[in-house]
Amino acid sequence: MKSISPKNWFGVAMASAAAALLMGWLSGAWSALPTWQYALPGASVGLLGLCGFSAYRLLRIAQHERPAQRYLESLARMDDGELRGMMSGRTVAGLEKDRVWSGLFQQIRDRLLEQSERVEVLEMNRAALEVRAKRSATDHERIASILSGINEPVLAVDEYDELVLANSSAEELFEFELEQTEDPMIRELVRCEELLELLQDTRRHTSRERSREMQFAAGEEEPRWYNVTASTLNDEQLDEQPTEETASSGTVLVFRDISSQKELQKRNAEFVASVSHEMKTPLSGIKAYVELLADGDAEDEKAQEEFLQVINSQADRLQRLIENLLNIARIEAGVVEVSKKAQSLNDLLEEAFRVVSPAAELKNLQLKRELSSLYLGVLVDRDLMTQAAINLLSNAIKYTPEGREVVLRSRVVDKEIEFEVEDQGVGLSEEDQQRVFEKFYRVKKDKTMAAGTGLGLPLAKHIVEDVHRGRLLVRSELGIGSTFAIRLPNAGQMS
Amino acid sequence: MNKRILLCDDEFHIVRAAEIKFQRRGFDVRTASDGEEAWEILQEWLPDVLVTDCQMPRLDGLGLVRRLRDHDAMDDLPVLMLTAKSFEKQYRDTADELGILGVIPKPFSPRELLIRVEQIVELQPSNSQSQESIATDALPAEAAAASETSSAQTAKA
Repeated sequence: MKSISPKNWFGVAMASAAAALLMGWLSGAWSALPTWQYALPGASVGLLGLCGFSAYRLLRIAQHERPAQRYLESLARMDDGELRGMMSGRTVAGLEKDRVWSGLFQQIRDRLLEQSERVEVLEMNRAALEVRAKRSATDHERIASILSGINEPVLAVDEYDELVLANSSAEELFEFELEQTEDPMIRELVRCEELLELLQDTRRHTSRERSREMQFAAGEEEPRWYNVTASTLNDEQLDEQPTEETASSGTVLVFRDISSQKELQKRNAEFVASVSHEMKTPLSGIKAYVELLADGDAEDEKAQEEFLQVINSQADRLQRLIENLLNIARIEAGVVEVSKKAQSLNDLLEEAFRVVSPAAELKNLQLKRELSSLYLGVLVDRDLMTQAAINLLSNAIKYTPEGREVVLRSRVVDKEIEFEVEDQGVGLSEEDQQRVFEKFYRVKKDKTMAAGTGLGLPLAKHIVEDVHRGRLLVRSELGIGSTFAIRLPNAGQMS
Repeated sequence: MNKRILLCDDEFHIVRAAEIKFQRRGFDVRTASDGEEAWEILQEWLPDVLVTDCQMPRLDGLGLVRRLRDHDAMDDLPVLMLTAKSFEKQYRDTADELGILGVIPKPFSPRELLIRVEQIVELQPSNSQSQESIATDALPAEAAAASETSSAQTAKA
């Protein structure tokens, strides 16, 4: 027998009561009994039906709805963890037989499960984002710290030419503070048309990087040369799947200071020019006199002799220049052959004196020697130390005006032996005294007075200090003159 | 009249070789070892051609020529410049501005220098006849004083 729902039971009861009442009434209408006596059975049936229905409802409430109410109450009290745990497969006792309630609870449970899963995913995403945000903040701080430590000025510009990043070196060079700037347009902060052209050029160009050499000066300082590299960042580097229409997302400018290289290039160029000049001068003399001889311009044998001597001396001069260059190169490369022997310093100085005497005579200089009467023994390579002495003397002769004096001295100083060359030349400033031993360095005012390569003193310094562990010193006063002194260990005295 | 030439170079042997060449060719030759010395010579002796080195102490070749161009009596003096610099271009531009007729690199040939100088002097009259007027223009005060002294001596005599 099929089960009948409470509504049906109620309907049947009320229909039965109505039928009983009707039959009673009809019976009463045909009999002598009062109507109410005939209605009583019907009313009783109806009342019984009503009671039955009520009892049924109460029983149902007791069986199902109370648990459901308790269930909902417990749901309302649960926290997220308990709720998620409870969702898996739990049923409500007694409700599983009631399709309406169990279906409803199934729906509720499914919805709660779904929302719970979503919340879980969102929670995970939130946590992941939080981690990423922290990492990003840490990375940003790290990058800022690294950039601050980089000496090279660095600027980053977005696609609208707005400055988005500048390290401390850049702020110092261009004299601004990005955080305090109201208008961070690069055009306003770095007023350099050449730089802006480089920016535009880099963006237009298909390659991502362009470089150009430029000069900038920080404040009142001297301008310095920089190699500026502009690298364009585009979305291609950021997108996993770049397209043809990937746009630029900014440009990074790095300024590498190349002033030292430029200075070296300039000095090298000056050196090459000087060497060229020095080499061409004796060559000019040789060529000229050879031509005179060839054209028969020597009137007599005496003239021929003179011409040949000039050719010879100029050839010697050229040879000395080449030797100076090669010696410096060899010493710097550490491949020079050294043969040290104990010998008399004064003998060596006499030889140097003889070599430079003609040049002093030509300039009408008084070349004097005040050598110690003692035997000054030194352990030296004769050729190299003689060359050093010649270089000091030649230098003095070159930079001393006509008619003045150059003096060569030797003496014992404590446990060392010293020889010095004193001149009455133009003298050296403090800065020149610091730099006069640098290769290629030539004192500015001296350039107008005498041609030279700037190699004599550096070579002498190499010979004295690198080869013989001695010292080369200078004392000088502008407008008065200079004294260059070489000190060597005393190798002992012999009677 | 002999053509005149002033040779100016701080390298004695170069000047000497050129001097021998031009003397053998019949030139009146004077020499100087730098620009200042050449300038002093030019105050009293005007050559037909000046041949000067570029790099010299005290006053270099370009500085000497600039002085010449600022002086009325010497502003059209033909000049040839010698240089041992490898890159003559920087000097060529300045030389053109100063009206220098040629920049000759060293080592040079005295024979070729002679040919170039002869080409230049053939195109103009010799300055040897105009010495007095040049001297007066060069140092007006000194020349006038010298002239007065000469006149006084003549009067005494």
